[in-house]
Amino acid sequence: MNARKLDEWKCLAFRNIHPDRPMVMVGLGTCGIGNGADAVFESFRERIDASGSEIILKPAGCFGFCSEEPLVCVYQPDLPLLIYHRVEAEDCPEILDSIAKGQSCARKALCRIEEWDHITSRISYGKGFENIPLWNEIPFFSGQKKIVLRNAGLIDPDNIEDYIAVGGYQALSKALSGMDADGVIREVATSKLRGRGGAGFPAARKWEMMKGAVSDKKYIICNADEGDPGAFMNRNELESDPHMLIEGMAIGAFAMGAERGVIYIRAEYPNAVKKIRNAIEAARKYGLLGANLFDSGFSFDLDVVEGAGAFVCGEETALIASIEGRAGRPMPRPPFPARKGLWGKPTNINNVETWCNIPVIVYRGGEWFAGTGSTGSTGTKVFSLVGKVKNTGLVELPLGTTLDTFIYRIGEGTGNSKKVKAVQTGGPSGGCIPAEHFRTPVDYESLAGLGAIMGSGGMVVMDQDNCMVDVARFFLEFTSSESCGKCTSCREGLSQAHYILTKITKGLGNESDLEKLELLSGTIKDSSICALGQTAPNPILTTLRYFRQEYMEHIREKRCRPGICESLYTALCENSCPLHMNIPAYIQLLKEDRLEEAFELTLRDNPIPGTIGRICHFHCQMKCRREMIDEPVSQGEIHRYIADTIYRSGKEEEVYQRILRDMLPPTGKKIAIVGAGPAGLTAAYYLVRLGHAVTVYDALPEAGGILRFGIPRYRLPGSVLSKEIDFIRKLGVRFVFNTRIGDPIPFRELENTNDAVYLTIGARKDVELDIPGVKSKGVVQGIEYLEEIAKGKSPGIGGNVLVIGAGNVAIDAARSIWRMGSKVTVVYRRERCDMPANRVEVEEAEAEGVEFTFLSAPEEILADPSGVVRGLKVARMFCRELDSSGRRKPEPTGMFDEIPCDTVVLALGEKVDGEMVKAAGLRTTRSGTIEVDPFTFRTSSLKVYAGGDAVSGPSTAAEAMGTAKKAASAIDEALTGEKRFHRLFKTFAYRNTVPQESEGEGTNRALKIVVRERIGNFDEVSCGYTDEQARMEVRRCLRCDVRDVGN
Amino acid sequence: MEATLLKVKINGKELTVAEGSTILQACGQAGIHVPTLCYLEDISDNASCGVCVVDVKGAKSLLRSCITKVTDGMEIVTGNSRVKEARRVNVELLLANHPQDCLVCDRNQDCELQKIAYTLGIRERRFYQTRPLSRQPDLSSPSLVRDNDKCILCRRCVAVCSDIQTVRAIDLAERGVKTHVSAFMDKGLGNSICTNCGQCSLVCPTGAITEKSSIGEVWKELMDTERVVLVQTAPAVRVAVGEAMGMPPGSLVTGKMVAGLRKLGFDKVFDTQFAADLTILEEGSELIERIRNHGVLPMITSCSPGWIKFIEHFFPNALSHLSTCKSPQQMFGALSKTWYAGKTGIDPRKISVVSVMPCTAKKFEARRPEMRSAFEYGRNRSGWNEEDGFFDVDYVLTTRELSRMFQESGIDFVGLPEEDFDNPLGESTGAGVIFGATGGVMEAALRTAYEVFTGKTLASLDFQEVRGMEGIRSAEIDLDGTPLQVAVAHSLGNARKLLEQVEKGESPYAFIEVMTCPGGCLGGGGQPIPTNREIRKKRAEAIYREDAGKGIRKSHENPEVIALYREFLEKPLGEKSHHLLHTHYTARPD
Repeated sequence: MNARKLDEWKCLAFRNIHPDRPMVMVGLGTCGIGNGADAVFESFRERIDASGSEIILKPAGCFGFCSEEPLVCVYQPDLPLLIYHRVEAEDCPEILDSIAKGQSCARKALCRIEEWDHITSRISYGKGFENIPLWNEIPFFSGQKKIVLRNAGLIDPDNIEDYIAVGGYQALSKALSGMDADGVIREVATSKLRGRGGAGFPAARKWEMMKGAVSDKKYIICNADEGDPGAFMNRNELESDPHMLIEGMAIGAFAMGAERGVIYIRAEYPNAVKKIRNAIEAARKYGLLGANLFDSGFSFDLDVVEGAGAFVCGEETALIASIEGRAGRPMPRPPFPARKGLWGKPTNINNVETWCNIPVIVYRGGEWFAGTGSTGSTGTKVFSLVGKVKNTGLVELPLGTTLDTFIYRIGEGTGNSKKVKAVQTGGPSGGCIPAEHFRTPVDYESLAGLGAIMGSGGMVVMDQDNCMVDVARFFLEFTSSESCGKCTSCREGLSQAHYILTKITKGLGNESDLEKLELLSGTIKDSSICALGQTAPNPILTTLRYFRQEYMEHIREKRCRPGICESLYTALCENSCPLHMNIPAYIQLLKEDRLEEAFELTLRDNPIPGTIGRICHFHCQMKCRREMIDEPVSQGEIHRYIADTIYRSGKEEEVYQRILRDMLPPTGKKIAIVGAGPAGLTAAYYLVRLGHAVTVYDALPEAGGILRFGIPRYRLPGSVLSKEIDFIRKLGVRFVFNTRIGDPIPFRELENTNDAVYLTIGARKDVELDIPGVKSKGVVQGIEYLEEIAKGKSPGIGGNVLVIGAGNVAIDAARSIWRMGSKVTVVYRRERCDMPANRVEVEEAEAEGVEFTFLSAPEEILADPSGVVRGLKVARMFCRELDSSGRRKPEPTGMFDEIPCDTVVLALGEKVDGEMVKAAGLRTTRSGTIEVDPFTFRTSSLKVYAGGDAVSGPSTAAEAMGTAKKAASAIDEALTGEKRFHRLFKTFAYRNTVPQESEGEGTNRALKIVVRERIGNFDEVSCGYTDEQARMEVRRCLRCDVRDVGN
Repeated sequence: MEATLLKVKINGKELTVAEGSTILQACGQAGIHVPTLCYLEDISDNASCGVCVVDVKGAKSLLRSCITKVTDGMEIVTGNSRVKEARRVNVELLLANHPQDCLVCDRNQDCELQKIAYTLGIRERRFYQTRPLSRQPDLSSPSLVRDNDKCILCRRCVAVCSDIQTVRAIDLAERGVKTHVSAFMDKGLGNSICTNCGQCSLVCPTGAITEKSSIGEVWKELMDTERVVLVQTAPAVRVAVGEAMGMPPGSLVTGKMVAGLRKLGFDKVFDTQFAADLTILEEGSELIERIRNHGVLPMITSCSPGWIKFIEHFFPNALSHLSTCKSPQQMFGALSKTWYAGKTGIDPRKISVVSVMPCTAKKFEARRPEMRSAFEYGRNRSGWNEEDGFFDVDYVLTTRELSRMFQESGIDFVGLPEEDFDNPLGESTGAGVIFGATGGVMEAALRTAYEVFTGKTLASLDFQEVRGMEGIRSAEIDLDGTPLQVAVAHSLGNARKLLEQVEKGESPYAFIEVMTCPGGCLGGGGQPIPTNREIRKKRAEAIYREDAGKGIRKSHENPEVIALYREFLEKPLGEKSHHLLHTHYTARPD
């Protein structure tokens, strides 16, 4: 082979990639095959053969979009290349048919390519198919810059001519025909290329060291022992474009004076091994490997060594030991491999991707390469984006791109309503970076600054359902078993850390364990010889740094909020319920027709079961395992049914008597509770039963807070609430109404005359809207409006009302106004799916005829000269990328609209009334809520506790009650010095069997009053379950709380 | 060549050290103690334990002082809180998975882990046990017990086995917390190529490797009034057992040892050196015969049982080079149950022979199936049944075990008055003494061979050229005009080199002495711990002191040996010698 011959081959082979007939290329990477691409390929083959069509069929590598596999690329002369996604065998006829007609199969088309930059050449395919987006217009590819993946998916990896056709081996030709070794190294130095294996050491410096080493023999090695869980870019590079590696290594060998190279590749990559072996064979045949390459006198050949799957063999010295047939255990450096490496000879080791960048650096020049990326980290890097992200696959972006680009723009977030919580970069040696740091650019130094590393490019996205303690435990399980076992700190330390983390995930950890983890991490980093040990504590350190609260919940509350650590919860519904109601138990009790017991259990867990059964956000449903079959179980409806049925039959009295009987003897302690909302009532209910004297103060004339003065009656009839509050009164709680703390009773007085004070003042102040015109007549505050209605007043309202906001207050206001006979439109700046209100409420509002205007941001409230509202000016928005909340970020289109109206209701959210908190002298957080200990809810003042929205910010009633339950327990413990809270509960025996068949289909829906009968009244809309419905619904529960099914 | 000097700063103090020194050496030079655990001079610098770490300015992590070479201008801190914490945590981690049964451990009070935990100030157990203890020590070997529960993976045993002995019977298996030292495929030491040399037990910092003790059985024998219990003591024991009893290395305690053994209750206290002299006569004769009859040369000594197993495994084709002579221990056993029994009229079946040896391989040797010559001899004459069968040597105790028996008996060893061996198996010459040091057998053989071969009397008995601690030593001895090329090797790594020559047919030697252990028997695997270069030197000095002090220094002049031939054996290499004093070998190529 020489330069002239190579050019001839390039010309000849051009027809391979640009034939005069249509061509179908099927992505047959391991990932594609895993998704059925081989069957698709076969299907194409059979059909093409059978029809005698002239269409060329050829295997290709992978184009990188894993979640859309199998990918098929269709070439038609003079037309854009089309990429089809999720192609199945049955789609083949349609695609072939479209080719025959010179058309596209729009149903399956993902994108089109008009022109492709192979870096070593440029290919124009043609124009057309404008209805199909260009490849870099779709989110997953937008902004991607394919340098390493320049050929992946577009050539046949098993055909060296394809590679030659797109300019392959031109760089080798250039190096060997016109450059000397120093010249090559100079280009690499100019490119500022850094090692892609993880540490980011400048490649040229490493090469320089090796070049300077004097020896009869030298070796270069490609480290293709990709072992990080979740990383597979090297696999794809080898499978899709093996010649680029061979070319890169040959150039490197020339620059460093080596005549032999070894590709050390993990045996778990059989397809890649096959591809690289084939490629080496072909390169030899074409005279691109072997003696006297390009008549330069330089000879080079390659061997392939398969690794046995030890993670530690990614470490240079261990890798060399493994090639030599010894156990893969790292050796202390120095001596560095550049001096004494393989078989004792100078050796240079680079990662697959480092080598793959070499041909383009030589071909296009170091300067060209350095033009991409950031100053310190040049070029691109391929990442494997996996985990809880909608678009998974290989992402090649310039270094320095921020994390949120990866996760939100390319990955499009979780693809569901769940929030991204963190991303793990660098595999088990990397760290967990929390969402609040997603603005960080991805380069070697920035990631290190966060305690993570770039590593070889794994990027595992985690959402709210990932337990960070479990994540750390998982990675430590990996590294502790992959430690070579030499250094005490690594071998024993990692196993110790894994043990402690396991202990914590089982609820057996204590706070000193966290200190131990930190101590261990320090020693493991500081006294392990190789990078495995030195980096293995990163997952521990970063999760401790960013998610310490999760650790503390595991340790102090024995809870795993995401519901991963099985020892720490009964069932996912129970775990998600802020009150931790034993839902499977009441479901089973009802199944066994033990209604009274079901009610008693429910009541012990939740003081206002009939109320919560109606208005809860039903956190329980959000994690129900039944959803995997059809729909979640309606735990809330069942719970409401139990309460309603008992109340109807009057049997509650007996249960009340039992609870009264179980009250603990008086302690003589006095407790004042400020606020008779859900949190205040809950704390009062438990504290009084614990034997304390409890007085509840409220500024309003009745108990219930938001339940009574916020939530409209059609959702929660007053009678149910009153009945349940009556029982709390019956237990001995004293209520003082119409009394605002601060005035007339000073807060100090409350503090001085009680043993403890519990503040649940709620978040009842409307968030203000800062636009012109808010002071106009006809602008109403949502919360105030709902309160007026609850008090039985009919506040004056116009006939054409706009409600600004999308939370429950907005929807409650809108539906109430609708009931009064006005026309209502809800105006919201985001999209419907982003509304924070209960989904059911939104659906009901829609059913009732409430109108919605989305993507409209209020600009100005328009008033007539007399100052009366006449309309609302809104900015029209559009959505593109996801923001860090995981929702699409509304951006102004620049267009405006005016919506005429006579009333504007502002329901943008609620906040805590800061004045009273300030008067009480309590410390507050930056967002204005009361600062408390997250476990005891004690404020900065020793006797004063706080809970509910005043602490958490606006949240659901159940969440407020959940914190109140914890606070009650903590107050009791502080006052009595004993842990007594559990004594208020009772164990019920019930059958623990998993239903053999999952009965029923979808969930049972309670009857509702028809829409036309809702106008003009506030009658309850939902009728609740019938006996039959309730019994059908309980049968749907899969009883996932039953763990031991062995007997 | 002058070494380049480098300037370093240790704990703020400037110091000049030679280039190539490790930080540990530099600290030593500065008089600063850096604790070590896996490191062992001459044996191991695998740098696994992480105890000797120091803080070097500019380094990313702490550095191992045992392997890190100093560089010019290096600034080292050996005891800041970062260093102290790392050392402590590393040792605490080892303790977390170490059995807490120090009180019943063989190495109680003599355990490096125990000591370092104490000196690092570890007074609580903060960490958890992360793997279950197996509670199943490897008992497959007749010589050694390996208890991986107690192993802290310092790898010294692996280093000594592979680097010094080149046996490689053990290596590390598996990864992570499952890492353990293992004989091939976890089949147990007894089923491996282990030569039983016991060097691993000398270097083990904990109780993970110990000899398989016979103390219990020996006590039982001693308590049994029916049994006549004879004890023989090897030459290297008397220069080492004192150390284990609190005396300085190099203490020569022959008389106290004899007195102590009598106090333990042995019926007769004999000397293996007697059998050593006998060995010289047999082996010397064999050599002369091979030379004269153009037999297989070089002839190689056969008294070191670790070496015998080594050649059986690694050089099975070279077995014919081995002298057929049994080792002195076995010659002693065979004679005590034949000649001595006949002489005293004791039923050989009632005699128990206990050896005290510096060696763990002797335990294996005593149980070689062919080592039942006295029984075969008696069966042919008296018609004993197979079930009466006995070995020539019943029990082997190491020097360490003997010291423990002394301790158990509450003997004030240092204060014991000296006593003499019993006769007739207690008389020995200086030649028998030097069997305990490398080159000793050679020298003893030369003293006799010269005089027997030439019929002349040697002017000087000291063959300095075969003495010393050089790994392989060779000399040309002038047997009155006939040059005799000889070589001496100690440690199996050195033996391997000579054997490779032999295998290739390139060995220039006629006679080779091989001792399994560094320094010869005085550095044996059953000797007191520690045994190191310095201590071996002191023990050797004591041996040559004993030799120099002996009235008779040539084996063929030992009057008891002369009497033995006169009364019983008739002549070297005679019929009875053939049956009782010579043996054969087993090729173990796998």
